[in-house]
Amino acid sequence: MTSSMTRPLPSLARHSGWDRDEPLAGPAETRYLGGMPRLLPPGPGPSGLRTHLARFGAPPLDWAGRGLVAEVQAAGLTGRGGAAFPTYRKLAAVAGYRRPAVVIGNGAEGEPASSKDKTLLWAAPHLVLDGLQLAACAIGSGTAGLYVHRDQRLHQWLAASIAERATAGLDLVPVELIAAPARFLAGEESALASRAAGGPALPRFKPPRASERGVADRPTLVQNVETLAQLALIARYGAAWFRSAGTTDEPGSMLATLHQADGQVMVVETELGTPIRDLLRLPAPAVLVGGYHGAWIPGELAGRLPLANAALRPLGAAVGAGVLAALPADRCGLAETARVVRYLALESAGQCGPCFNGLPRIAGALAELASPWPRPEIIADVRRWCGLVEGRGACRHPDGTVRLVRSALEVFAAELDQHILGRCAGSSNRPFLPLPPDLALDEADWR
Amino acid sequence: MTAITQSTALWYASRATGVVSLLLLTLVVILGIAVNRQGRLPGLPAFAVTGLHRSVSLLSVLFIAAHVATAVMDPYVSIRAAAVVIPFVSAYQPFWLGLGAVALDLIAALILTSLARARMPRRAWRGIHWLAYAAWPVALIHGVGASPDLRSGGLRLLAIGCAMAVGGAGLWRLTQRAREMPRAERAAAVLAVNEPPGSPARPSFVPDREAR
Repeated sequence: MTSSMTRPLPSLARHSGWDRDEPLAGPAETRYLGGMPRLLPPGPGPSGLRTHLARFGAPPLDWAGRGLVAEVQAAGLTGRGGAAFPTYRKLAAVAGYRRPAVVIGNGAEGEPASSKDKTLLWAAPHLVLDGLQLAACAIGSGTAGLYVHRDQRLHQWLAASIAERATAGLDLVPVELIAAPARFLAGEESALASRAAGGPALPRFKPPRASERGVADRPTLVQNVETLAQLALIARYGAAWFRSAGTTDEPGSMLATLHQADGQVMVVETELGTPIRDLLRLPAPAVLVGGYHGAWIPGELAGRLPLANAALRPLGAAVGAGVLAALPADRCGLAETARVVRYLALESAGQCGPCFNGLPRIAGALAELASPWPRPEIIADVRRWCGLVEGRGACRHPDGTVRLVRSALEVFAAELDQHILGRCAGSSNRPFLPLPPDLALDEADWR
Repeated sequence: MTAITQSTALWYASRATGVVSLLLLTLVVILGIAVNRQGRLPGLPAFAVTGLHRSVSLLSVLFIAAHVATAVMDPYVSIRAAAVVIPFVSAYQPFWLGLGAVALDLIAALILTSLARARMPRRAWRGIHWLAYAAWPVALIHGVGASPDLRSGGLRLLAIGCAMAVGGAGLWRLTQRAREMPRAERAAAVLAVNEPPGSPARPSFVPDREAR
């Protein structure tokens, strides 16, 4: 099916400790020769500006306005924030309006199981900032922002990186750092647009999309920070180089956050189409693909699948933002799902009735299904309620949550039967999938 | 009582579907008000009221379509197809049938914009949906004016009952202010009611000492 399936194993760039203060001393100043990893620096330590320029050279900003959109189209780059939307179409859409446009790099990784954006911002901030400048030049925008979770050290690191570029005279468009609240939905495009304009990070109804009316009603290009970094490399090395990794339909590399069954969490850069068994240590009873808006897949089946939408979409799953988690053999998948769905329900923005009424109701039923002797009839209730909330929100939060719930009912069907009889396969109740400690208590928590 | 013959069947069908349409539209308006004010119906989750509102709306479209089609096809009175959608051009009862055409146009606008809701601005949809409060009274007056059936006997009581139900729901809507609870607390409030006792500490299978 895909060319990469027969290729030798990809080299995985492993980085698991970036979310700390790191010294500015970078790896040796070497030119990039085109292999993997592409985005993440080859050695330990983040890339400061000097290292970055030695490795990649300056971004071709003067060329971006003429050729970048076509090059990105030829490269087949898709959004790495989860939706896999063709990047060139967003660029072209925003560039098509006559009104002045805004570009925002989206690093508000609300997904608790994902840390690839944070890792990238620590390890290679200048690749992201290059991408931001290139995108601004490509669509003729004079306003750029970087939207990142309110983390003081990361903000300091990014502010220093931006200042360093200003001193070097590298940037054409000034970049503003925007603090994102620690909410699951904070990175949703319309929530971002609202936050960037000074309001709460709450999703709004579409249309209009942000590309038409975003920040302060101006056409707004919102791109995930990894997408911008990929764009910065395509601008330098071209579409053919980009396509030399990945599959024909889904080219390039991507960052993935891997949760091994033993609790190890790592961010890797891998080619699209890489077999999941090369990323996760299997066997595992089940694998969560695509994060908390993703889907469970039986472990044995996951071991035969590549990390590519072509293979995952027919199963109701998707690559998403690249979260893969192998369920430990001693945990109960229903209990894990119930915990996550409870969190997702509480992260509802409280705007749409089907979402803030439906998801907690589903979460309550899942909590019962995760405990001994649940009433069997509530399985049918949950299935029916899933249908009632799907597609009925301003954003995709109900749809994504329902996707996870449905996959759990299917993949853990045998476990459900055991629970009804008062038995459970899990022997440990230690939480496996990560959840943040704090939940929104009032409106201020959305700012 | 007149017998139902081949020539009167369409006439009776039109009147019967008209009465059913009135009942369904009344239900749609009441459910719509319930959706708008987060009202609850016994035995139904709050988020299911929206689905019921939509389902009954689509059902009423079928009965309205049958009501209009049988009225046009009925040879006893001649109603041109144009009079179905253009108000006050009918040769037969131009005023009362004209109101029917107005109601039909309004309902068509409501249904079509709701079907296309995901592809249109939210405010536009809301603005058009306010027309429901005009469509229902116009439809009722059309029925009472055009048909002597609704002016006497049991059907008169039915018409009065419908009017009182919608009026009551409208008054309830005015007294109920929009949901007071802050957005950030809504999901937590619903979860508190729906979680089984013992959650989220997990009432589970494993002894507690294993928990972290």
